[in-house]
Amino acid sequence: MSARKQAIKGGVMLINNSKLAWHFYQQEYRSPHQRLLRWTQGILLLFIITLGQTSESIQSYLNDNLQSLLGADAVLSQATALTSKQQNELTAITNNLVQIQEVKTTLTHEEQWQRTKLKAVDAQYPLQGQLLTSTSLNDKETATFSGPKQGHIWLDARLLAGLSINIGDYLQIANQTFLVARILHHEPDRLMEGHNVDMRAMINSRDITSLGFAPDLIHYRYLIAATDSQIETLITWQQENLPAAQVHHKQGNHPLALFWKRTENFMGLASILLFFMAAIAINQLTQVHIKKDQYFSAICMSLGATKSTGIQVSMLKWLFGLLLIIPIVLALSAISHWLIINWINETFAELTWQWHLTSMASSILAVAIIFAIFHAPVWLSLRNNSVAKLFTGNQGGVSHWLGKLSSLVVLAVVVISYSDNALLTLMMITAIAFTIVIMIVISWSSLTLGEKLCQNFSGLIPFSLFMMKQRLVSKSTQILGVGLSAFLLLFTLMLMKDLGATMASYQRQHDGNIIVSQATKPQMDFIEHWAEQHSIDIRQAKPFMYAKLIAVNKQSLAELSNKPSDSLATFSRAIRLHWSEAVPKNNAVVNGQWWQNDSQNWQQISLEEEVMTDLGLALGDWLTFFIGQQQVELKIVASHVFKPGAGSITFWVQMPPAALAHIQSAHYSMASIELTQQQQALLPALWQKFPTLRMVSLKEVTKRFDSMLAMITKVISGFSLMIIILASVVILASINALESQEKKKNSIIMSFGFTRKTCLKLNIIEWLVTANVTAIGAILGTYFAGVLIYQSQFSLTYQPDFIWLFATLAIILSVVTSLGIYASRHSLQSSVKQLMSDT
Amino acid sequence: MPCYIELKNISQSFQTNDTKVTLFEDLNLTMSRGKSYAITGPSGAGKSSLLMLISGLEQATSGIGSYVNGEQKQSLSELRSDIGFIFQQFHLLPELTALNNVALPLKLRGDKTALAKAKHWLEKVGLQHRLDHKPSELSGGEQQRVAIARALVFEPKFIFADEPTGNLDQNSANEIADILFTCCQENNAGLVVVTHSEALAERAQHRFSLAEGQLCLQENKLLKVASC
Repeated sequence: MSARKQAIKGGVMLINNSKLAWHFYQQEYRSPHQRLLRWTQGILLLFIITLGQTSESIQSYLNDNLQSLLGADAVLSQATALTSKQQNELTAITNNLVQIQEVKTTLTHEEQWQRTKLKAVDAQYPLQGQLLTSTSLNDKETATFSGPKQGHIWLDARLLAGLSINIGDYLQIANQTFLVARILHHEPDRLMEGHNVDMRAMINSRDITSLGFAPDLIHYRYLIAATDSQIETLITWQQENLPAAQVHHKQGNHPLALFWKRTENFMGLASILLFFMAAIAINQLTQVHIKKDQYFSAICMSLGATKSTGIQVSMLKWLFGLLLIIPIVLALSAISHWLIINWINETFAELTWQWHLTSMASSILAVAIIFAIFHAPVWLSLRNNSVAKLFTGNQGGVSHWLGKLSSLVVLAVVVISYSDNALLTLMMITAIAFTIVIMIVISWSSLTLGEKLCQNFSGLIPFSLFMMKQRLVSKSTQILGVGLSAFLLLFTLMLMKDLGATMASYQRQHDGNIIVSQATKPQMDFIEHWAEQHSIDIRQAKPFMYAKLIAVNKQSLAELSNKPSDSLATFSRAIRLHWSEAVPKNNAVVNGQWWQNDSQNWQQISLEEEVMTDLGLALGDWLTFFIGQQQVELKIVASHVFKPGAGSITFWVQMPPAALAHIQSAHYSMASIELTQQQQALLPALWQKFPTLRMVSLKEVTKRFDSMLAMITKVISGFSLMIIILASVVILASINALESQEKKKNSIIMSFGFTRKTCLKLNIIEWLVTANVTAIGAILGTYFAGVLIYQSQFSLTYQPDFIWLFATLAIILSVVTSLGIYASRHSLQSSVKQLMSDT
Repeated sequence: MPCYIELKNISQSFQTNDTKVTLFEDLNLTMSRGKSYAITGPSGAGKSSLLMLISGLEQATSGIGSYVNGEQKQSLSELRSDIGFIFQQFHLLPELTALNNVALPLKLRGDKTALAKAKHWLEKVGLQHRLDHKPSELSGGEQQRVAIARALVFEPKFIFADEPTGNLDQNSANEIADILFTCCQENNAGLVVVTHSEALAERAQHRFSLAEGQLCLQENKLLKVASC
């Protein structure tokens, strides 16, 4: 036969098979196994498409935003001012630059105080973009072409309200008086502040000199107008001369890009859990699909069709199912995407709803491939079995295990590609694996033991245990499905509750209600004296210096890892480096050895364990820090963890005090102070004296926590809802998989002279046993996950509230049992007549 | 003590779309414990429906069905706990061994000696060497023997068999028929068999033919009893 004729024949066959597949798809449309498959695929597609669309919208927003809101072609920022030599070198590259100085300070007015970011600008500011101000709250914003005059201060509207001050009033900062001249609405270079919500004030740069802030408290930023080639020269110059400085430019990454990438990856971890559940549900449903498609294929083959006809029809049927849910999923994704965009508008101002076709197509394609692999056992079973075996229904063999293995590989690939925080992912996977093993062990041992113990007893309970033991494999799969769902749900709910409770009780548990996050030596000396004078309790005070990590084993930080992580994000800024002779009381060494007292070997550090794991560091690695104006190399000799109960101030990086003799840099302190309600009134005076003292009241901290908690609660609630729906699908799928077996069992029992009521009782007992095994598994799994994850990932001490845990579990399980019994009602609609007609 | 099933003026019909289909009308029938009965007739005559009515699993459209056990006369629904079934497809539970399949009704009744009794019954039907085999490891004839042992193990007063040899070859069918009739007789159980097989029907003490809604009693030429 010619190739052309063969192609035509193939085409005709495909059309015929498509018609056949469409017919059978319609026939099976309302059957539970198809319905449940639609739900599983729909939920996961909805989640992934919405995540993809949101991510794409934010990425393109960040790109556009970077172009228009940098306020310059490039921005160089660092903790110190440029030396005159550096200034000359920079001017040689481009002479169009503006210097900005920023200091975090506390502004006071009468009894009010507000933490503020005070920005001092020179005469050339703004370099690019619009500076918008107004002279009263009701006035229209107008573009201003230079910063405030000397002696003037501009405040943003929130600060104006927060300090109860009006335009034309005078404000005192460190004994200098400023006229509040305008309201600050928009700074063209605000982008560099990223997502912070600090209140803002602006003064002339000549005033900041007279305010006398210590130079190390001021952050310097240089707005530069430059061509692309000048930017490249600038970057090379910065890498050679100012390794600790940061450069942002229009061709580079948005400051929020890393933050968003991490958020996205965290959602990725969440989606791994959803993929796990979908895999369980599809695995359960596959049993029914295999049976139906094998029978259909066997009939086709016995009527002379080829093996490929059966496989093609099965694949096309699956494809029709997937294609038909896509329009509904897309409509729901568009709505969810719109809701999310509105919700995150606070962080990404002016972000608008957009639909991204490429992202949509790639999401659908990726998820479709994953679903196809999950569904592959059906097609493999059709391919690898003979007609006779297809008629009798053969589900075992190599293809069965090959299918399971490929599902596991897919899950592994999903896990690896989404993994942001390697440690958290590993812990979550370990917890899931532990739960699976524990549930297999419990179901096997409890059913074996139960059956043995009940051998000499009569009644329905021993009979149920006997039957469950005999059907251990199929029952275990059901138990695993339900149990894993219960575990994931319980853990998510527990985490939500505990994070909330911790934040709520922060005020009570925290040692001190005022946190000094940065005090200079004179400031700390004054605070100690002031505390003694007013009988104020200083709970903790620990020294530190700022250090910027620039290289690990001589490899620059940028080359170290392409994957964003919490630790890497923090190390992109200067971190606090603490020194201590002995291991701090709230730390414990977990690896390596802490330095001996009076050790002269000063080039040693201890690193927090999670940071080590996150960055893939090991004992013996050398870290290069930029401290003050020098590069310092320190060797990791130990790793430590936080130990609760001895104060909350802890440091990621610690070194021996001997190092101080070799490092010239400003020393600061962190402290926690307990103030009574009356003593709170003493704070404005303290801030008036030291405006740069970084001190925050717990009220402010808890306010920030509250808004963060509200966001976390929304995210976790949405996620829990997804898990609840998928868990229900898993339960229904596991019932559906065993329905024909159950139906037959019930009919046979009725043929022994028993009534439907006996079958219902047996059903209830089976579900109670299933619920109990899954309960024990889920509780142990949750406990294990709590112990593993809480301290390391959320800095929470894991103290399981067993009453809450059991109460929640009891609710989940009664819902599971009720749902199970309700969903099993079909299998109770059996009769002896059905056995007779089953010929 | 008398123990029998009595059907008086029984009619059975059902509705399909606009048509009323009558399976049989004004049937009168008595079936006693310890006796064997065969119901034959063409496909679609209503044999299986009649079996369902006699066993009390279905309600007749009209007429009275009663179960007389000693002095008591009860409705047919009371018969449930005193009957066992044997099916053409055997319907053994695939995950259970032959022994556990037979022990199943006793275990459900809470009989502590379930396994011993099941073993005894499997020996009776000649399967003492197949106790631990699962249904998939047994031939059709062997599976039906397990099903017979399972139906009789809890000593029901009546056994209802729907085409018990329909899935078997001639040799196996003969063997099964021998076992079925003998065991029922030894156990003093009434046996009601629905079949197309002349050979099987002829073994019953009473033979009915159901055709066009009428039930006719036929004389049996051959009565053969073997030991089980």
